Amino acid sequence: MSTDLFDQARELLTQAERVFAGLAPQQELIEARNRLDEPLRVAIAGKVKAGKSTLLNALVGERVAPTDTGECTKIVTWYQNGHTFQVMIHPVDGTSPVQATFHRDDGSIEVDLAGRAPTDIEKLEVTWPTRSLERITLIDTPGVDTLSTEIAAKAHEFLDPKDTDTPADAVLYLMKHIHTSDVRLLEAFHDEAVSQPNPVNAIAVLSRADEIAGGRVDAMASAKRIATRYSDDSNLRRLVQMVIPVAGLLAETARTITETEFQALRELAAIPRKDVETLLLSADRFVRATPETPLTEDERLHLLQRLGIFGIRQSMVLLRAKKANNSVELADELVKRSGLVDLQTVLNTLFVDRATVLKTRSALLTVERICEEYRSHPGTKDLLIAIERIMAEAHAFNELDMLAEIRSGRIGGRRQDLRALEQVLGAGGTTPWQRLGLSSDADREELRSTAIGQRQKWSRVAESPLTTKELETAVRVAVRSIEGVLADLPATVL
Amino acid sequence: MVSKVVFLITIQTDSVEFVAQTVYEQQRTRWAAGVSGQRIVYQMNAPNQHSDLAAVLQLGIKAVTAYERPDFAERLRRLQSKVDRTDVQIVVVGEFKQGKSSLVNALLNVRASPVDDDIATAVHTIIKWGPEKRAYALVNEASEPDGEGRRVEIAFNEVRDYATELGETDPSVIVRGVELELQRKLLEDGLILVDTPGVGGLGSGHAAAAIGSMSIADGALFVSDAGQELTRTEAEFLAQAIELCDHVVFVATKTDLYPNWRRVVELNQNHLRRLGINIPMFAVSSSLRLEAVRRKDKQINIESGFADLISYVTDDVIDASRQKTRVEVSEEICAIAGQLSQAFEAEKAMLSNPAESQNIIGALERARAEAEALQSSAARWNTTLRDGVQDLVRDIRHDLETRIRAVRKEAEKAIDNSDPTQIWSELQPWLENAVSQSIITNYRLLADRAGTLTVEVAQHFGQDSSVVFQPKTGDGTPVLQMVDPNRNLDLQTAGVGGKGLSALRGGYSGFLMVSMLGALGGLGGPAGLVAAGAAAGLLGRRAVKDERERELSRNRMEARREVARYCDDVMFHARNDIGETFNMVERQLRDHYDERARELRESTNAAIKKADQAVRTAKQDSQRRLRDVEAELERIGQLRRRAEALVAPASKPEGR
Repeated sequence: MSTDLFDQARELLTQAERVFAGLAPQQELIEARNRLDEPLRVAIAGKVKAGKSTLLNALVGERVAPTDTGECTKIVTWYQNGHTFQVMIHPVDGTSPVQATFHRDDGSIEVDLAGRAPTDIEKLEVTWPTRSLERITLIDTPGVDTLSTEIAAKAHEFLDPKDTDTPADAVLYLMKHIHTSDVRLLEAFHDEAVSQPNPVNAIAVLSRADEIAGGRVDAMASAKRIATRYSDDSNLRRLVQMVIPVAGLLAETARTITETEFQALRELAAIPRKDVETLLLSADRFVRATPETPLTEDERLHLLQRLGIFGIRQSMVLLRAKKANNSVELADELVKRSGLVDLQTVLNTLFVDRATVLKTRSALLTVERICEEYRSHPGTKDLLIAIERIMAEAHAFNELDMLAEIRSGRIGGRRQDLRALEQVLGAGGTTPWQRLGLSSDADREELRSTAIGQRQKWSRVAESPLTTKELETAVRVAVRSIEGVLADLPATVL
Repeated sequence: MVSKVVFLITIQTDSVEFVAQTVYEQQRTRWAAGVSGQRIVYQMNAPNQHSDLAAVLQLGIKAVTAYERPDFAERLRRLQSKVDRTDVQIVVVGEFKQGKSSLVNALLNVRASPVDDDIATAVHTIIKWGPEKRAYALVNEASEPDGEGRRVEIAFNEVRDYATELGETDPSVIVRGVELELQRKLLEDGLILVDTPGVGGLGSGHAAAAIGSMSIADGALFVSDAGQELTRTEAEFLAQAIELCDHVVFVATKTDLYPNWRRVVELNQNHLRRLGINIPMFAVSSSLRLEAVRRKDKQINIESGFADLISYVTDDVIDASRQKTRVEVSEEICAIAGQLSQAFEAEKAMLSNPAESQNIIGALERARAEAEALQSSAARWNTTLRDGVQDLVRDIRHDLETRIRAVRKEAEKAIDNSDPTQIWSELQPWLENAVSQSIITNYRLLADRAGTLTVEVAQHFGQDSSVVFQPKTGDGTPVLQMVDPNRNLDLQTAGVGGKGLSALRGGYSGFLMVSMLGALGGLGGPAGLVAAGAAAGLLGRRAVKDERERELSRNRMEARREVARYCDDVMFHARNDIGETFNMVERQLRDHYDERARELRESTNAAIKKADQAVRTAKQDSQRRLRDVEAELERIGQLRRRAEALVAPASKPEGR
């Protein structure tokens, strides 16, 4: 089915190229077609200083993006897989990209802009051979800067999710812990540099999750509770699929931890527990400890900058309990505790597993936009009809549309019914067990019987005279999803 | 859902009228309770330490009683009640989750305010001294949200339920606030700490209430954690705060968590300097402080940074508030002493210079006529007040109307450019915030203008009353050796310049204000808003688009209607409240100066009586009488000197 979708999209793009041959959009269409074969593009967006570059590094598993206490990402930067290390500068004026020199200082990449102002550069393209970028290309954005906007200068813009094409196929929004009644709750989502919030392809990340509970050892549990509450907020639901807490700094460090750092931590864990506790009462205490404390002041400061109080406390717990005996084990445990693993799982189920649909969607939206721009051009009408057809016929698109519809509140119905519908439509992942709400080890028989039961249940709902037309439409799409599940699970032949 | 915007102003005049004092207490309770109409009077039991002040006041009361001036005695007794009750109120404000409640707990070494990682404090928590640990909830009946509030005692472990947003309480009541009484040394001198809710952020209606509460508080602790630089909202809030509150302190919290906290503090200092905000800054760690107490570890306590903060609170804020009371008492007694001496000065002048008696009596009679003129509605201060209030009401209403209209326009623009069903949940808090910001700005203008008017009235009264006070002959020669009555007035007006409101508060004609209480959040969902139900997918996207267009224009109309209704509603309440506020201002100012004018007439009457007596005094007795009179004047002079000594530089806390 998915290759089928790809073929249809390719065919459409070829048709569009013919229609716009020799016109300005032609190049864009060629790029759109190439894009289908490239990895999924995931943008990291949010407010300035939300920790976007830190999260990017954590996802890449290397310190590639520069991070600093001050604001530092000033240009949209793409990180993609490739055979050689390379950085390309794409100028704003549309002239062809030029290769830039760069060096790695303290891990992160520093690009020599060769005298260009950041405002003259549309984007930087960093090619980095690494497995983590094989399936997704990550895009780092400068973020929305609310401090620089003058109070009255810019009128408040409200978020109204629309189907428009964007450079990124999916997006991660980094948000801070803000009260749900706060008007600034959605500030992060105003970052429209490379994408727009849409429950179809967006996830929110509750960043700096460890700080919420004052860096206590159980901080992530608190952060999870908060994220769950956010995930239930109607305001956020219409913009993103879910909210996931991540302790970004810890995640980044865990994935890049060095043997020296591990040894330093081990040395600290060796001193009496009570002393460690006293040491970790505050950042100052930890750095400016008594002379008999292990490590030098600089070394301790380095650890603190890398792990934060929360990370060090976690490491101490892990090392003392012998849950981590070498740097690899410690890294694994810390990655888990930072929430990064959860985020990766969600990224995989919601984005990577759906890459075909998301990429096709991007391509179709691009053609659609171009057609709207060249409304009177001969042949656009046929193209629009073709887009209609693909979108209406492809069940995957119907699923996404229905998800967005339910999320936007346009479909009325009982809350638990709608949540169950979302699940069947693949809101929590597209594998059979995820759609059916079973555990990952459910066997074929269990899957089949549950699917049959659910098909019956939803069919009854669809036929009920009390069901609204809108709900019925959604339910019928869900029933088709279940049928798809069943088709992949043929009854065992005895 | 009716939005209720409440402006309440009461004036604390130089005589500290008892009525004003009571109203003031009620206002404090009102904002704390978040509702108008609460009638809960505070009882302060904390010991007071104003021994010299009390002594001078007692002496003053004795003196005016002896000189048969019950009017003065009444005025001083009202002052006495203020001295007895030296509440110093400090409000703790800041964004959601910056550690406000933790700070309060750490200050008091107690888990008084509930602290949670996620759930926020939802109501004001008032913490003050009490002989034993007690907790009260300030509640309204749910059936009567605007009615009289009740104060019910609750168990200490129930505080969390009452004070936080997700707490479970009896649904038949609405919790307006929580009040705690604790036996803590820090509170012993009358310090009242108020923890405010951080819900909704510093731009919201809650913040408007916080601003209102700060304008009547003696000090405010602005809390922002050291993990990140000040945000624009915080900076804006601070700028508003320092305009309305005398002692605003910046407290950077959670220093234990951030290795770079010093850099953040430094960055914040630079921000504040750039904004022209000059306030003390303290960096603290509440968790270190609690740990220090737990371990009884002095070193950790020093590291927590609390010692400096506490000494600032006690030395600067509390003493500054005391100092204000002292200045007030001192000035009152000096003014009274001046008027008391007038009669004796008159008698003295008559006795020592009988040839001038005609002139003196003539001058005194002119002065009495002036005093009577001061009482008439044609008096300059009276006209100033009457016309001033009229202009003010008009200007302030116009200002608010203009602001709300602009907000409304912007909301309508947003509605016309998008799908109201999609943006409504974002538009709603935005609109409420924008409206409450308009009200705050308007409130500051109101405070400023009302302050200027008060000063103007005071000046006019002062200038005209000094004529009464210093009787002159027809050619302008003063007949009595009086101390310049304008001495104090100059002192007070000098301090007024910069800050509209706070400089006035506690001064000659200080203002106390409370505003913008209750729920500003009266914006509901538009009733007729129908989510465009046409489900995509099977219908075809284009057909859906067309159907949506139709729904859209209908929804936009509904949304615009709801916005208009909300804005009109707010304006209606605000108009009324502005009117009521100024009625109160006018009434209280008028009552105050009427009383002053009556006193002046009494004093000139007394002077004329004494002068008449002097004329009739037999020549052989006059020398003896002169000695008596001088002795009386000396006694009054002593009273004045003692009153002046209350504010002598040596005893000023600033001198420390």
